[in-house]
Amino acid sequence: MNALLEKHTKDIEDILKKYPEDQKRSAVMPLLYVAMRENGFVSKQDMYDIAEIIKVSATQVASIVGFYTLYHDKEGGKHRVQVCNDLPCALRGSGEYLEKLCENIGIKVGETTEDGLVSVESVMCLAGCDKAPMFQEQNPDGVFYHEDQTVESTLELIEQWRKQEAK
Amino acid sequence: MTEVLEEKTTKLVNLTIDNLEITAPEGTLIVDAAKLAGIDIPVFCYHPKMEPVGMCRMCLVDVGMPMRDRDTGETIMEKGKPKIQFGRELQTGCTVSVSEGMVVVGYTEKVKKGRQDILEFLLSSHPLDCPICDKGGECPLQNLTIGYGSGESRFDLEEKQHLAKHVPLGDLIWLDRERCIQCARCTRFQDEIVDQPVIGFQNRGRKLQIVTFSEPGFDSYWSGNTSDICPVGALTTADFRFGARPWEMQASASVCNQCSVNCNITFNTRREAKSGGDLVIKRAMPRQNEEVNEVWLCDKGRFAYTSVKKDDRLTQPLIREGETLVETTWEKALDLVAEKAKEAGKEMVSLVGGRLSNEDYFNINQLTAHLGGKSLLNSEMAGGDLVSQVGLGTGSNIADMGQGDAILIVASDLEEEAPLFWLRVKQAAERGAEVIIANARETRADRFAKYKIRIAFGQETAVILSMAGAKEGIAVEFLADDAKVKAAAKVFSEANNAVIYYGSDGLGLSGSEELSKACAFLLSETKHTGRPNNGLVAVWNKANLQGAWDMGFRPSETLAADLKNAKFAYVVGNDPASKDILEKSLKDTDFVVVQDVRLSETAEIADVVLPAQVYTEREGTYTSAERRVQRFYPAVPAPEMTKPDYKITAKIAKRLDLSLEKIAASLVFLDLAEKVADYAELDYVRLAEVTEQWPIIGRDDLFYGGTSYQNTQGLGKQISPAIETETIKYEAFVPSVLSKKDEFLAVPVTTLYDRGSTMLSSEVLQPRIADPYVILNTADAEKLGVEAGVQISVKLNGKTANVTAKLDDSLAKGIVLVPRSMGIPISDPGSITIKAK
Amino acid sequence: MANFERFNPIPILKGLYTTFHSTFFEPVVTVQYPEEKRPVSKRFRGRHHLRRYDNGLEKCIGCALCAAACPADAIFVEASENNDDVRFSPGERYASTYEINMMRCIFCGYCEDACPTQAIELGDQYELSFTERVQAIYTRDMLLDTVDELEKATPRKVEPGAFDRSIPMMENPD
Repeated sequence: MNALLEKHTKDIEDILKKYPEDQKRSAVMPLLYVAMRENGFVSKQDMYDIAEIIKVSATQVASIVGFYTLYHDKEGGKHRVQVCNDLPCALRGSGEYLEKLCENIGIKVGETTEDGLVSVESVMCLAGCDKAPMFQEQNPDGVFYHEDQTVESTLELIEQWRKQEAK
Repeated sequence: MTEVLEEKTTKLVNLTIDNLEITAPEGTLIVDAAKLAGIDIPVFCYHPKMEPVGMCRMCLVDVGMPMRDRDTGETIMEKGKPKIQFGRELQTGCTVSVSEGMVVVGYTEKVKKGRQDILEFLLSSHPLDCPICDKGGECPLQNLTIGYGSGESRFDLEEKQHLAKHVPLGDLIWLDRERCIQCARCTRFQDEIVDQPVIGFQNRGRKLQIVTFSEPGFDSYWSGNTSDICPVGALTTADFRFGARPWEMQASASVCNQCSVNCNITFNTRREAKSGGDLVIKRAMPRQNEEVNEVWLCDKGRFAYTSVKKDDRLTQPLIREGETLVETTWEKALDLVAEKAKEAGKEMVSLVGGRLSNEDYFNINQLTAHLGGKSLLNSEMAGGDLVSQVGLGTGSNIADMGQGDAILIVASDLEEEAPLFWLRVKQAAERGAEVIIANARETRADRFAKYKIRIAFGQETAVILSMAGAKEGIAVEFLADDAKVKAAAKVFSEANNAVIYYGSDGLGLSGSEELSKACAFLLSETKHTGRPNNGLVAVWNKANLQGAWDMGFRPSETLAADLKNAKFAYVVGNDPASKDILEKSLKDTDFVVVQDVRLSETAEIADVVLPAQVYTEREGTYTSAERRVQRFYPAVPAPEMTKPDYKITAKIAKRLDLSLEKIAASLVFLDLAEKVADYAELDYVRLAEVTEQWPIIGRDDLFYGGTSYQNTQGLGKQISPAIETETIKYEAFVPSVLSKKDEFLAVPVTTLYDRGSTMLSSEVLQPRIADPYVILNTADAEKLGVEAGVQISVKLNGKTANVTAKLDDSLAKGIVLVPRSMGIPISDPGSITIKAK
Repeated sequence: MANFERFNPIPILKGLYTTFHSTFFEPVVTVQYPEEKRPVSKRFRGRHHLRRYDNGLEKCIGCALCAAACPADAIFVEASENNDDVRFSPGERYASTYEINMMRCIFCGYCEDACPTQAIELGDQYELSFTERVQAIYTRDMLLDTVDELEKATPRKVEPGAFDRSIPMMENPD
């Protein structure tokens, strides 16, 4: 029935153990990480499965996925470039930066490069307003902040990733 | 008006809003205090029925407090008045509560500018759809923009967001993403009020959007209410999509006849070209009645009007000539009916359904009594006589129940049987009332119940009797959890006020009768009778069954035999022939007269068919399960040849030398009040009385409470139970045991979205109807090799049917839930055989 | 009694002169209506027309603001929803019923003012006479401008998603 639970029974049980009987719903965030392990994003079915495990509505799970930039509901590149585009960042030129960056890579916001290496997203506040334009990079190793960016510096970075990938 | 709030908190504070000195209970929010004083503070996200969130910032006001001396704590005076210090920034009136000496200002340039800017921001991504928007004309955003906006925008029109414009959020509600102003009223309603968070917000900032992930989308019985409280046209109902502009419609007050809550509604009507220029109902809206439905409606009640179709109506009296029914005149039909009724005399039977008005019941009963026949009710629930004895005390309002009170729900899936009762009990639980549930399966009411007594089907009466302390002959030991029963019994008997809701979950007529007796016994043992918010409520499955009981109709255990032996059956507003056994007996009845609005199965085998009117076409009164008598008014004209039921009966009576009132329903009611003691003090004028209600909803300030209608046509009157004036004793008894002969026991349960005629003939509700199904225990299903969702073959009462299997873990082994009106006729618990296919 | 001695022919001759002069020397102003018709002024308000965009789609969105503005309650509108297979207007909805009772209409032009898409315009036709009351009701089909090419007729099938606005923003959508 519940594919997610079947696949990661042990891990999910361990996570659930940490929460008191009437607060199992709080396990939603670690469970979402479990779901993301495989493909790097939470599929719709995963959301239903998690909702079933912790007895909340699937809509509530989806709301959490949508709220946090660390969860994804779509497949993306190996390196997710998440550019903050909120007002303070925009005042420091992040809008233009994002536009030019995309132009240079040849994709639109929300898309992934053909080789599956980079996807560019526009996100809400990352608390780095003073060092904008900035972006948060998510790759399988973790989350990294890259601040005071220019289009050139970012393109250099992407070139480095590409080289690493080639090795 | 303030009394409404004053009752709850005693401490009052004095404050000034817009130079008006007012008194309000401590803790009242500024917006509510202003509303009480008749001052408008514009809001979008605030709703008086929900917790404030301060999301939209529209209710900005300048709030000042009296200055105090730092050393002495004394109020600093200036020119004989306290010196007021205003805050640096504006505050939201919906999140700040009033305090002594507070000064609230909403008219200064600073406040005006603040609100203007908020509106400018809100409109920066709101489309200019007003001419085609269903909300246009009754839209808070439109009205407040005119009232408080600056008249121009500094944002570029070209930069408006373009988003999906018609997203079906389920079958009943459409979402326009562009129009949403993210006030969260809808999501909060689903979460806070009805505890079904099936819609929610996704993403952040400007990308925030409403999503639903339930299967089917927006899977809730309450979805229509979100469209009422939506301050823009983002959520609109499927039935009214582009149906008419709000200002073009007339409003007529009515009462919903889908269940025994009797919610107050308003029908909006307009002439329609495709109906040949006839006045038709365009939509149904809630009408405020804080003692019944507040400002809410369930979706079935809201969309049920769509099931009334002009084409399938009976429009002419029909008379049997050989095999066929042929049209005839009223004179001929009535003469024949009267002649046959006279011949039958004592051997006549009147059989009525549960949706007629009190006036109809009264006249039919008078006619039957005149002939000496039997007044029978086609119903599978009993106990109306007990409700009239120990029903809710005069002046009851579930909204007054809370801390220290207890509510017992027995044998009822309350949300399915009477959605608004469920909502009101849930709110009472949130105010601190102890909810005790004695059900044989899990229901949505379990979530807020403190005591959940899981019984087996057939133990309903036993559990209530044992709660009342009766021991003899009651097999207490087979009760699921004796300690829990004792604890619940203690809470119930010690509660200040206690109400019992008994339903029909798993019960047939005899089971229902025993249960109602046990409930009356428990109430009288614990002295929870004859006072407000104490007493018995039967969760009837039809709108006016209580009225039928009050007018003298009784269900019969031997209905089939009664019909078979009768020489003349007068069948009004029900369809007995839809059940095989009754169809057989009706064929043996010498003469069958059917009085209905549609050509029902019974009408097809009748000798005379008389065309009656639908409740939307005429006047009348209903008595709710809480014994509140309420008036409904005509909304649309009736087909030319039809007549209201009371009139048809009176015309028959006249031919039998019995004079019954037929001119108007109000006059029938006068007769009724004279003859039926409980109704003695009522008349149509009293029923139309209205007192002030809080919150103030439905006037020209649609932004405050949504588009629910103000009640100007009557709140109805609750009638007193007999126990208030006389002493009635109830005895304990030995309940009968539900024996299980075969492997599987089928028990009838109620589901709101059934396959009854209302649901099937409504195009709007149709997509929500499930295929015929039964619910099995998971273990049983495994044994049978049945998986969830597969087709199985069931045999019940000699009838075989193919249905979908649904599974439920919480169900006891060997039990099969068979929903009523869901394709398999069931009236009593009984054996069922199941075969996997 | 008449006094012939005092008879003065001059006033009569003056009068006859006017007749003579206007008959032979002044231009003819009488128009032989109905064979001949006088042109009406640009601001003349006659029978209404429901206009179309250049591509043939109807401008009317069925908002019923004309009916709301009408002081004589002469207009009755009912709206329905467009879809890409059966499209009448570029927006979300169109008027499925549009009736003007010409006997009620006072030709004030408020409907024209109220219309957000300039769909209804008062034309220059003033010959509105009826032998039956029902003839005075001008329906949607009578009021809509005719199209000269078949592909411009409505309803029509269009490319899915070609029109995604509730109300067309542009003067003449493609």
